[in-house]
Parts: sequence; C-alpha cells; structure tokens
Amino acid sequence: MGTNEIISTIIAEFSYALYGSIIVGALCAFLGVYIVAKRVVFLGAVLTQVSVLGLAITFLPFMMVSHTVGSLAVTILSVIILSRLLTGKKIPKDAVLGFVFVFSIAARILIMQKTPKVEVSEIENLLRGDILFVTPELFYMMLGVFVAALAVHGSFFKEFTYISFDAETARTQGFSANFWEMLFYIIAAIVIAVATHMVGDIFVFGFLVVPPLAAMLLVKRVKSIFLLSFFIGALAPVFGLFLAFKFDFPASPTIVAVASAVLILAWVLNVLRHR
Amino acid sequence: MTPLIEFQNAALGYGRKMVLQNISFTINAGDYFGMVGPNGAGKTTLLRVILGTLKPLSGEVKIHAHATEPLRFGYVPQRDTIDYIMPYTAQEVVMMGRYRQIGIFHKPQKHDRDIVLESLQHVDIADLRDWPFKDLSGGQKQRVLIARALASKPAVLILDEPTNGMDLSSRIAILELIHKLHEQDRLTVIFVTHLLDDVANYVKRVAIVEWNFFQVGEIDDVLTEKNLSSLYQMPVQVTHIDGSKVILAGGPRGN
Repeated sequence: MGTNEIISTIIAEFSYALYGSIIVGALCAFLGVYIVAKRVVFLGAVLTQVSVLGLAITFLPFMMVSHTVGSLAVTILSVIILSRLLTGKKIPKDAVLGFVFVFSIAARILIMQKTPKVEVSEIENLLRGDILFVTPELFYMMLGVFVAALAVHGSFFKEFTYISFDAETARTQGFSANFWEMLFYIIAAIVIAVATHMVGDIFVFGFLVVPPLAAMLLVKRVKSIFLLSFFIGALAPVFGLFLAFKFDFPASPTIVAVASAVLILAWVLNVLRHR
Repeated sequence: MTPLIEFQNAALGYGRKMVLQNISFTINAGDYFGMVGPNGAGKTTLLRVILGTLKPLSGEVKIHAHATEPLRFGYVPQRDTIDYIMPYTAQEVVMMGRYRQIGIFHKPQKHDRDIVLESLQHVDIADLRDWPFKDLSGGQKQRVLIARALASKPAVLILDEPTNGMDLSSRIAILELIHKLHEQDRLTVIFVTHLLDDVANYVKRVAIVEWNFFQVGEIDDVLTEKNLSSLYQMPVQVTHIDGSKVILAGGPRGN
C-alpha cells in the first residue's frame, strides 16, 4: 500500500482506532508525568495488570457485568486498598506492589483456564485490547473519560502539583494530601481501566512512562513537560499506526516503539546538549 | 505577652504508641523558641501537633487565633523531604506558599506574584527566581523554602532542621537570616534542630526534647553546665568566646 492509501484506509476504516489511540496516548502521557514525578511507575504497571484481571473476571460464568464495569470496579477497588497498604510501614511498598502485580497475572491465567464461553485466544485478545477494533461505544466512553480527567486536572493543577512536590508542607496549609492523592489515583485507575480495555496493557503502561521521560529530557519547565508529554502521547500513535499498516506490524507494540524512539532521540539530544 | 500556642498536660504519639507525655508549655507572640533533641525523640511529633496535622492523645493543645483569623503557620520542612525530580523554578516553589490564599479554582494574580517577588527579595535571592530549585545549593534551597513560608504571610515561622547538611558559612548565613526575620519583622519563630549550637546564640527560650525527658525554659536557665551535664550524663562546659556561647562536651578521653 502507498502512503496515501494507508492514510485514507486508517481515516476511513479505522477512525475510532486512530482517534481513540490519540486520546489514550495523550491522556496517559499527561498523567504519566505525575506517575514518574511521584516515583510510582511500578504502580502504573500494577494497575494495568489489575484492570486486565478485572476484565478477565467478567468472563466467569456467574458474572453478569460488562467488561468495562468489571475492569473499572476491580481497578478502583485495588487503588483504595493499595492506598491503605502503601501507607503502612511494616511491609515495603514495592513488595506490596510486586505481590499485586504477580497475583493479578496468576489470577487472570487461572480464570481463563476455567472460562467456558469462548476460545482462550479470543479472550486473550480482548484482555490485551485491540486498537484496530475499537468499538464506537468504547471510544465515546474513553472520550468522556478524557474530557473529565483533563477538566479535573486543569481545575486543580496547582493542588495536584503541590501535593506531588511537597505533600508535608501542603498538609500544614490545610490541604488534605490524602484526599488529593486519592482523587489522583482514582482518576488514574479509571483512565487505566478504560484505556487498557481499549488499547491494551502494553500501550497504556508504555505511555504512562515513555512520553513523560522524553519530555523531562527535552524541556526544563514543569508546564512545558506536561504539554510536551501530552503532544508526544498524541502524535506517537498517529505515526505508529501508519508504520503498523505500512510494515504489517501489530499496532500497540509499533506505537510504543515510536514513542520509545522519541525517548531515545531525546536522550541523545540531552547528552549532546550537556557535553 | 500574648499566648499563641499552649500545651496543657498533653500526651503525644501515634495510635497506641506514646512518644511524649505530660507536656506543658506556652509559646507567646514574638517568641524565638528552639526545640532541641536527637532524631526520633519527638520533635517532629511536637511540630505536627502544633501544625494541626496530628491530634494529642490526651490533654489539651490550644492554638489561639491571631487577630481575627486562625493562626497562620509558615512551615519550612527539611530539604531532604522534598523530591527534586521536577524542575520547578524558585518562584514557582515560593508561589506554592500562596496557594491557600489563592483558593481552589483560582489562579495566581499580580498581587500574588508581587508577594512572591517580595518574599524572594526578603531572603536575598530575587536574582535566582527563574533558576530550577533542584539546581540550587543547599543554602539557596533553604532560602527559597523560607521565602515560600513568608509568602503565606504567617504569624509563626516554623523551621525543621534548617541547617541540616550545610557547610559552616551557609549555616551561619541561614541562622543570621532567621534572626533577622525575628528581629526586624517581629515574627514568632519556632526553630527545630538536633544541634544545641544552632540555638545557643539565637533563641530566647528552648525546649530540650530527649527520650522520656522534656524541659522548657529561658535559654540561659536551660543551657547551664549543671543541667546539660546531668541531662547528657557527661561533662559539659558552657563558655563564651567573643561574646558567643560555646558548648563543649567531654568525651570518654576526659577532655
């Protein structure tokens, strides 16, 4: 296929995939700046696996809830439980996260083995998300999450950044660090749950980490980091989808590879700038 | 003297863990109050109760209103509790001190930016306002954090280990700056440190916070050879060099 033909095919036949991956990429990249700044990158990985487990649970014969509701419920519940476990001092935080991570994967595999509904490979595809077959319902739900998450973050940007930078002092000024932290993680849980259902865990986790890191290397102002990360997150899926069609690659890994190429380029530029 | 903070037979701690008990003292308006003790003895617990982020287990702690509004604290945390991964500029950090006054849903206005600049000028680092906070020296970082506390227009300035990890010249400069804020601006200052030397020549009243021991008094009454030798179970000498108080502790070699 020629370049024009690929572009027209993507726009005409895979518009939900294109626009869906753009909004997921941009939103995950924006939230990812906080995830990286708070040094809770592993939490991002854990929540993507928890949301996949939530999806898997909906395949059990006695579960009568939709995939999205199941994924959202399990992810939000996990965030609430984790917020309690991660503030304790008896067990190391990374050990708690490691446990939830491996438990989510193991439980998902066990559930899949016992589900009679359809072939395991089909379930695996659904669990992993498939960009090319995004449904209009899922796209519009993601669009709603995108608008709501950005509206909350736009309205409370100074509160979120203050808590992220220095929660102790913010608390002395009357800000409830627990409230703002919980609000942040619940928004992150909703975004991750819906986005993972839509585009898969590799895409979501990749965009929570890679564009923020690239932006941090390229610009030196906090607002610029958020903006640049957002735009890398929005543009990488466009080029990634194009390359996936051009070379017949799977879409999600190609999109993450494009974002990773931007990160490597940013790192090289950063090294050259400081020589 | 107007009392601002009053502890009346308070017990402090976390859950069932008691850290300090039978604590009674008052901090008055215009005080320069030091809290000295080793790490883990309860200084931070005391601070949290004063700042209102921890409730006493028993007893009473009164935080009196200042003029018509609740007592406003300007808190300067330990520098190492802040994560420097994001490149906030010095003035962005100081602006955080205004967030409470700016309020939810509102953005900083010219009035807030003026106060931020004024605060930076007050601690002599206005020229560093566009520098990334994380790239500043320890002393400069401390000045930014003090400016942030001042930007909130506090009645009481609380500093937690402000000279920790500083070289001698930076340490003296910060001690002099805090002294200036107390003397010139008439700020009530609470200074928390594990170094007796930091408070010996600056504060007016001091609390010694040790394991199972709490003593409050005028600096000259508390920092006596007899009292300190008894407290630390070693010979302690309090002498003066060029008008400054110097505390010397005798070690096992009998010096």
